[in-house]
Amino acid sequence: MDGVSYQRFPKVKIRELKDDYLKFELRDTDASMANALRRVMIAEVPTIAIDLVEIEVNSSVLNDEFIAHRLGLIPLTSERAMSMRFSRDCDACDGDGQCEFCSVEFHLRAKCHSDQTLDVTSKDLYSSDHTVVPVDFADPTGYDSNDQQRGIIIVKLRRGQELRLRAIARKGIGKDHAKWSPAATVTFMYEPEIHINEDLMETLTLEEKQSWVESSPTKVFDIDPNTGQVIVVDAEAYTYDDEVIKKAEAMGKPGLVEIYAKEDSFIFTVESTGAIKASQLVLNAIEILKQKLDAVRLSEDTVEADDQFGELGAHMRGG
Amino acid sequence: MEDDNEYDQQLEENDEDEEITQEDAWAVISAYFEEKGLVRQQLDSFDEFIQNTMQEIVDESADIEIRPESQHNPGHQSDFAETIYKIGFGQIYLSKPMMTESDGETATLFPKAARLRNLTYSAPLYVDVTKRVIKKGHDGEEVTETQDFTKVFIGKVPIMLRSSYCTLYQNSEKDLTELGECPYDQGGYFIINGSEKVLIAQEKMSTNHVYVFKKRQPNKYAYVAEVRSMADSQNRPPSTMFVRMLSRTSAKGGSSGQYIRATLPYIRTEIPIIIVFRALGFVADKDILEHICYDFQDTQMMELLRPSLEEAFVIQNQQVALDYIGKRGATVGVTREKRIKYAKEILQKEMLPHVGTGDFCETKKAYYFGYIIHRLLLCALGRRAEDDRDHYGNKRLDLAGPLLGGLFRMLFRKLTRDVRAYVQKCVDNGKDVNLQFAIKAKTITSGLKYSLATGNWGQANAAGTRAGVSQVLNRLTYASTLSHLRRLNSPIGREGKLAKPRQLHNSQWGMMCPAETPEGQACGLVKNLALMVYITVGSAAYPILEFLEEWGTENFEEISPAVIPQATKIFVNGCWVGIHRDPEMLVKTLRRLRRRVDVNTEVGVVRDIRLKELRIYTDYGRCSRPLFIVEKQRLLIKKRDILALQQRESPEDGGWHDLVAKGFIEYIDTEEEETTMISMTINDLIHPSLILGVCASIIPFPDHNQSPRNTYQSAMGKQAMGIYVTNYQFRMDTLAYVLYYPQKPLVTTRAMEHLHFRQLPAGINAIVAIACYSGYNQEDSVIMNQSSIDRGFFRSLFFRSYRDEEKKMGTLVKEDFGRPDRSNTMGMRHGSYDKLDDDGLAPPGTRVSGEDVIIGKTTPLAQEEAQGQASRYSRRDHSISLRHSETGIVDQVLLTTNADGLRFVKVRVRSVRIPQIGDKFSSRHGQKGTVGMTYTQEDMPWTVEGITPDIIVNPHAIPSRMTIGQLIECIMGKVAAHMGKEGDATPFTDVTVDNISKALHKCGYQMRGFETMYNGHTGRRLTAMIFLGPTYYQRLKHMVDDKIHSRGRGPVQILTRQPAEGRSRDGGLRFGEMERDCMIAHGAAHFLKERLRIRLSVEGARTRPDIVQVHIPYACKLLFQELMAMAIAPRMLTKEDVGKPSKDQKKKGA
Repeated sequence: MDGVSYQRFPKVKIRELKDDYLKFELRDTDASMANALRRVMIAEVPTIAIDLVEIEVNSSVLNDEFIAHRLGLIPLTSERAMSMRFSRDCDACDGDGQCEFCSVEFHLRAKCHSDQTLDVTSKDLYSSDHTVVPVDFADPTGYDSNDQQRGIIIVKLRRGQELRLRAIARKGIGKDHAKWSPAATVTFMYEPEIHINEDLMETLTLEEKQSWVESSPTKVFDIDPNTGQVIVVDAEAYTYDDEVIKKAEAMGKPGLVEIYAKEDSFIFTVESTGAIKASQLVLNAIEILKQKLDAVRLSEDTVEADDQFGELGAHMRGG
Repeated sequence: MEDDNEYDQQLEENDEDEEITQEDAWAVISAYFEEKGLVRQQLDSFDEFIQNTMQEIVDESADIEIRPESQHNPGHQSDFAETIYKIGFGQIYLSKPMMTESDGETATLFPKAARLRNLTYSAPLYVDVTKRVIKKGHDGEEVTETQDFTKVFIGKVPIMLRSSYCTLYQNSEKDLTELGECPYDQGGYFIINGSEKVLIAQEKMSTNHVYVFKKRQPNKYAYVAEVRSMADSQNRPPSTMFVRMLSRTSAKGGSSGQYIRATLPYIRTEIPIIIVFRALGFVADKDILEHICYDFQDTQMMELLRPSLEEAFVIQNQQVALDYIGKRGATVGVTREKRIKYAKEILQKEMLPHVGTGDFCETKKAYYFGYIIHRLLLCALGRRAEDDRDHYGNKRLDLAGPLLGGLFRMLFRKLTRDVRAYVQKCVDNGKDVNLQFAIKAKTITSGLKYSLATGNWGQANAAGTRAGVSQVLNRLTYASTLSHLRRLNSPIGREGKLAKPRQLHNSQWGMMCPAETPEGQACGLVKNLALMVYITVGSAAYPILEFLEEWGTENFEEISPAVIPQATKIFVNGCWVGIHRDPEMLVKTLRRLRRRVDVNTEVGVVRDIRLKELRIYTDYGRCSRPLFIVEKQRLLIKKRDILALQQRESPEDGGWHDLVAKGFIEYIDTEEEETTMISMTINDLIHPSLILGVCASIIPFPDHNQSPRNTYQSAMGKQAMGIYVTNYQFRMDTLAYVLYYPQKPLVTTRAMEHLHFRQLPAGINAIVAIACYSGYNQEDSVIMNQSSIDRGFFRSLFFRSYRDEEKKMGTLVKEDFGRPDRSNTMGMRHGSYDKLDDDGLAPPGTRVSGEDVIIGKTTPLAQEEAQGQASRYSRRDHSISLRHSETGIVDQVLLTTNADGLRFVKVRVRSVRIPQIGDKFSSRHGQKGTVGMTYTQEDMPWTVEGITPDIIVNPHAIPSRMTIGQLIECIMGKVAAHMGKEGDATPFTDVTVDNISKALHKCGYQMRGFETMYNGHTGRRLTAMIFLGPTYYQRLKHMVDDKIHSRGRGPVQILTRQPAEGRSRDGGLRFGEMERDCMIAHGAAHFLKERLRIRLSVEGARTRPDIVQVHIPYACKLLFQELMAMAIAPRMLTKEDVGKPSKDQKKKGA
């Protein structure tokens, strides 16, 4: 059976790249791959987050658990995460998760001495490792710098209240707890293919065209001011809401437009929490996806399956 | 320039004269709530009690007069012939709430301290007492010695929070916070022994009102008129009078037979009405008839009276009539004179006491009695419909004031009785009279406390007490607290299957919430006040009587009955005071004076044109609501008044009371409402949405829901978690739930502003998808986003407080907090004692679980108790351990002393509750559900924008329940979120789905709220578009962790040795009949046999062949013993061959 190979060579084209935002096209693959990538980005790319809090003094209005929960949700810069160990597999510290290989220590000391309330923020967290620090949201362009970005608020203290604690951050994945998820948003859409039936369209008056164009909640179509023709301005703005198709039917012109979703072409939007760069997030996700596939290929179960399924099994391994 | 100015001015004038808009009406409504708050009825009613009623009760009690009972005392000759002691009570004084510590130190008490230390928030009451000793000499001269005692302490009166005598009265928000109070707390409740108590308003029929009912045939009577008459000082139960007309069929033989008879108090049989008249001194037929039907031309009515006249033909003078009545009284075998006197007394004192109980009331009474009959006849003739028992104008509400008033009157009378008894004793024994000892302050103090603490209204273990009048204030959610303070109860038997009193009555519009009522037994009997009701507190009737006198009302002495048909009858509080010939003018004047506040604004003026009656009410407990006044088709309130209202500097000047005083607004009670023309447009001040109560006002678009859904939500909103008060950290409630990240709803109603729902919310704006996804949300379960939960979605805190005190046992022995020592303490718990500090309390921050002991306490062991134990033990353990199914962290420990100076401790344990499968949630539309599955973000369906829902509910929850409001809330929420504004979901406004849809379309979304979604597991597009948007969800207090229960072996009851009951006792789970049926159906017969069959095996005993060993359930053995105790000898008959056991049988058993 050395017939057709089903192997495909997906292509990625990056459209827009910022530290915490990435938009790219993924072509020549199917939904399972695209979705696997999305799922891994959300749930399996590791980051570092505070996982253990030892509170020394807490006279704030929020109780210890509340503060611990809030600390956990603060994104920490996690470039190191891929190379770090999970504390459960760390042999340096026998899994108690307090060694330099699997953890980062933080300290926080804050006390309010004035009559004004004191905001305790992520900036008050002091890290033992300068590579793992709370994410700085200050806009590097300085666009918003005047309104004193003070990081993520943890708690507010009133005169005399104090908060003192030690926190341990560890590596983890979003599947275990959402605080370890590096992704704010990961989404993709099927690239739409829009065919306007020009002949039918020309039977419409300009007002009818206008109302048809406006029936779409998103700006997909427009009317060329010169020719009066309906044109597709932004096919990707289409959300598959069928509003234009329904409108066409309501106008008595079924088939005015035909819209298909391409089965093998995806447009991804990735937004990162800031823990890792959006581009790194995608790369890490691919890396992890590969590791996962390796794990399947190399596991003994797979070998057994090979024996059972013969060549089909080998094919499944990509042979 | 000048021209311009003129033009501007003109414009302005026009502007100011402009009619007000809907928005302006809301400004007025805001002014109302700003001034009145939400529990005004409670506060007003209590203030009335403190400021007037209490003094009136003291004044109405006559002086105590004591004459020494002649004691036989030979040899002693008194200086005076007679000595009379007179004790009178005068002015009362009430101080601010106080507390006397056990060491005698007295200080003002603040509510916070009262709550924490389980004290009673009450103020001492003092009264001026005068003692007069009148000594009459043998020669007739009198010597009076007067002694004044000022401010004698007579008891402590619990004070309603935020009433005018409360320490918090008119404190600023800042002061309140500094006192540890929640500035949003409205007061209106009491603190008794540390627990907050509300007095639930009690509904009753109004008194002094003639009701005529038609009896359902066949019945002995055709028509019945009844009056429950009660004189002003409501110290006696109302005296009810019935006037009944017999039905035609029931009278045998008689020509027409429709006799009319009346019941009189203490008279066993019914008395023909004519005899009553004759007994009152109206003997001639003509005299009587003109008191009944006024107009002799009215032949129909005259004809109806013929049988009655004939019936009384034999009795033709007053003496005979009185004797006739007297004979049927309680006195038997007395002389005729006595009987007549007795009958006279009854007529004067007991019959219709509200008309008068003094001398020379006969005329008035005869007129009133005639009027009752007149009304009966009108109904019999079909000229007037029968009265409606359920009409809300016929109902009165007893609020805190009148309830406490009744109690106080009773207790004060008891106090005076005791004083009399004490003084009498002193006088008789020739001792000096010491008033300090005579007045037992405990009577009032503990009497009031008892009723408020238990809810049994009336004396302890006395008959006729009502239960459940005082209830523990619900503190689950702010809304539930508010709603509890505005609750109302109708004390009608819950079992009664009569549906009518439970049904919503038209006259309740604007007074009672149409949605908020419990389901089941109390449905429709427990009601809640609508937002804008005002309950009258009552005012004196004499200003009205004076006014009537002044404006030409003719009383009965001045008129002849013949003029009555032409004139209008005037009633004040149900009492007929006279007639007036120009009622139009009278009513106009009265209303004008009321609008000018020359007459109390709460006076009700009802002019019944058809009946020619003018009824004026000044009594307490009527429901009324404010309305804009319209004259000449235009509202009196104008735009400029609204502007003035909005631009006023401080909330004190101007405001609502000013609007009332200026005559823009007046209060109309339920009965007056019937005679008033009310437009249902804006001029009806109460925006139609204000017919709802507190809980129903939280529902968005309730006007788009099926009505029972609103009722369900009204009940469920009370179980939602939120922030119940801002000072929850300073409180030690036995149970408290606090939501981690509460949000104000995106979609709001106008009323919420006044309910402080934004400040103290109870829910989260969740992104809700209505979809079928994986099937884990069937049958009212929901799928929840685990990642959202990780991020803090619907996390909540749970607090439970445990309390204990070092009780004194006897004079010397006292319990002690401390760590029990195993070596000398008996009866120690199985839990761990390690978490206790040396003081016997678990310190804050300790993680506690299971049955860990959190308060260690021991009692010294009495000598005789320790017998046998070889005196190893000197103490017994009385520690308190954590509930076995709960865990948490000790949050706060409070160690203080209580009123008796004993050490007293409260320990609050906190735990975080993270949503999990089985927890209960609900939208604001009666759509509750439990979590059926949690999915992490990547498994949830998502939209192109990357949005994943927090909650997925099943579409099957919608069609049959018709909660369209939820769908509209969802799309409006989407628009609101997009525009960064709040959506207005107030009912009965002009917001339409179309408007919202258009706005949503403009925001770039599918107009009906649908979105294309992708399957999180596969990445494929879902074929159906999903309805998705923010919907406000509530977390309800029912959580699996509080309910989960299973048991293998465990505790049994001592008596029956059957498993204990209930989760809290680690009880068994009953394998009941239905479960048994399942096993049968399943065919698992052997399992059944093994589990259930009572194994009754018979075995021969080894030694005595005539004794058989029988295995029976322990409960069966118990039954046998109980039977034996009743002298019934049970016998067990075993198989015939018992007695000669064989190996064979032993094996078989029985």
